[in-house]
Amino acid sequence: MTVAAADVPGPGPSGSAAADAPAAVLARYEELAELLSGMDGRPLADPDLSATAAAALAHEARLLDAGRFEDWLDGWTDDAVLWVPLSDRAHPGNDQSLLLDDHRRLAERIEWRCDPSAWGQQPPSRTTRVVGSVEAWDGPRGVVTRSTVLIDEHRHNRHQQLAAYQIHELVGDDLRRRTKILVVPALATGVRNPSFLL
Amino acid sequence: MTAANIDPVVADFGELVQPHRVHRRIYTDPAIFEAEMTRVFAASWCYVGHESEIPDPGDYRTTTLGLRPVLMTRSRDGDVNVLLNRCAHRGTVLAAESSGCAKRFVCPYHGWTYTPDGQLVAIPFPSDHPVEDYSTLSLGRLATATYRGFVFATLNADPEPLDCWLGEAVEAFDIIIDRHPGGELAVMGSPQLLEFAGNWKLSWDNAADGLHATFAHHSYNTLGSTVDVETVLARDPGSTPMVSKALRNGHMVVDQRPGIPQGPWATMRDVPFREPLESALVDAGATELLDLATGSMVNLSLFPNLIFVGNQLLVVEPVAVDRTRLNLWLTSAPGAPPEIDLLRLRVDEDFVNFGTPDDLDMFERVQRGLSVPEMEWIDMSRGLPDDRATDGTIRGPITSEAPQRRYLAHYAGLMTAPAATRAR
Repeated sequence: MTVAAADVPGPGPSGSAAADAPAAVLARYEELAELLSGMDGRPLADPDLSATAAAALAHEARLLDAGRFEDWLDGWTDDAVLWVPLSDRAHPGNDQSLLLDDHRRLAERIEWRCDPSAWGQQPPSRTTRVVGSVEAWDGPRGVVTRSTVLIDEHRHNRHQQLAAYQIHELVGDDLRRRTKILVVPALATGVRNPSFLL
Repeated sequence: MTAANIDPVVADFGELVQPHRVHRRIYTDPAIFEAEMTRVFAASWCYVGHESEIPDPGDYRTTTLGLRPVLMTRSRDGDVNVLLNRCAHRGTVLAAESSGCAKRFVCPYHGWTYTPDGQLVAIPFPSDHPVEDYSTLSLGRLATATYRGFVFATLNADPEPLDCWLGEAVEAFDIIIDRHPGGELAVMGSPQLLEFAGNWKLSWDNAADGLHATFAHHSYNTLGSTVDVETVLARDPGSTPMVSKALRNGHMVVDQRPGIPQGPWATMRDVPFREPLESALVDAGATELLDLATGSMVNLSLFPNLIFVGNQLLVVEPVAVDRTRLNLWLTSAPGAPPEIDLLRLRVDEDFVNFGTPDDLDMFERVQRGLSVPEMEWIDMSRGLPDDRATDGTIRGPITSEAPQRRYLAHYAGLMTAPAATRAR
């Protein structure tokens, strides 16, 4: 299956909302695909904007590592998307992902993380995120950032480290997260219980 | 090219696999694992891929048969070939990418060159190489057969025909395929790859285990309960009209449909972007297709490496005696409106994210527990005595451990009387 926003017919003669609805979904997916595929060719970042964004990203990493998931959830917009693709060439409408959450499923994910019978995260993973190489640019909907992140995880008797990079769209004066794309190359070869990834 | 020097006395499998219990060693002994790679994985029909993944001549995909590197190709005549991904010269793995398209496979080490059907066509500087008949230096071939687009292969020197090997499993196989418009099913490009520190048979024990869902997946069953969705897994699994079947050759079926009369879509959580995609299908008069966005509710397991769950193909890949990689491939419905596949992408993430992590944790806990030498046995007696029908199928409630007993009996047979294996 291959779909792209341009392939989707516009509203029919009736101009019904339902006919627009899949187009809106595909348009959001296209935004995600363009953010991912267009990152490598970007120009030198804006140093001041990058410093501002770095503080927001460090704050997010601190909340996640501390297990303050409700606070983390509060920092998202209503039209949030968290996407963890399986490769840096993926499209959210054509390829499997590890996850693609809207705000509703993000809230469910936090509920699951806090459920004492969710054995995949009980006992919970202890993580330490090392965020680096933060670059930021002005984008059409807000600030676009790319950063690297090393996620160190301890759980039961195991220890694993995953190197990744992340793309954020941060909107408004308070830099709320509208989009986050987390690219973990190890997902293409196999990861043990990745349910700690956010 | 018949495999030689197989030690026939790795263990007494009649002792290790008994009708009501199995010994921990079959999950923990590296010598048994090594023997399994030939006696089970090389000697059985194994799923290697789907024809839709290699539509054009030259297309290929790499995979494994047990630990053996394998190459599935489409040759110029349109045939599907399954070859050992091993240069006939020094043994170099030829294709390192997971998939691609190639008119020729050129060994990166010394330049030996093969066609997609495995024929050696060139050796560099041939004047000082004594070989006269290149056909003696082809890539190793596996016996290959397809069932409705699903490609299976084996190194068994004398395999039973694929249809016979599938046997009664064909009924569930057809149900899974026929629900797709035109019987057309395809496999999407990249699998989710999840590893666990445990033996591959733990995933097999779990595949037709209808009891674990109530406990291991308690969090999945209650997640989002504030929106009043009762998943079928939350009910008493033993009292539902759902059926488990233990088939010949270690195959297993769990048919959940009798327990979900309202249809699977009605039990589905509100996945991301559900409403706009669902309303588009309803407005187009295609409401009846919504069930296609979820799985068939018929879980079929084809021993030893293919499990149908949801709309995913879960391919079990052994890595070591205590390490397994699960390859989860998503199927698509090319004959359906595109909203179906768009929904499938989000639907199948649901269990992988909120159910599978619990399974992975249980597998690892079991493997750790089985390291205790003073506790030797695993109980598998629930549901005994087995009620065997005239066709040999054992049916029971989904809490019966008959499927586990039967696949392990088949496994013990394979391990006790190893079939000869050879590359063709």
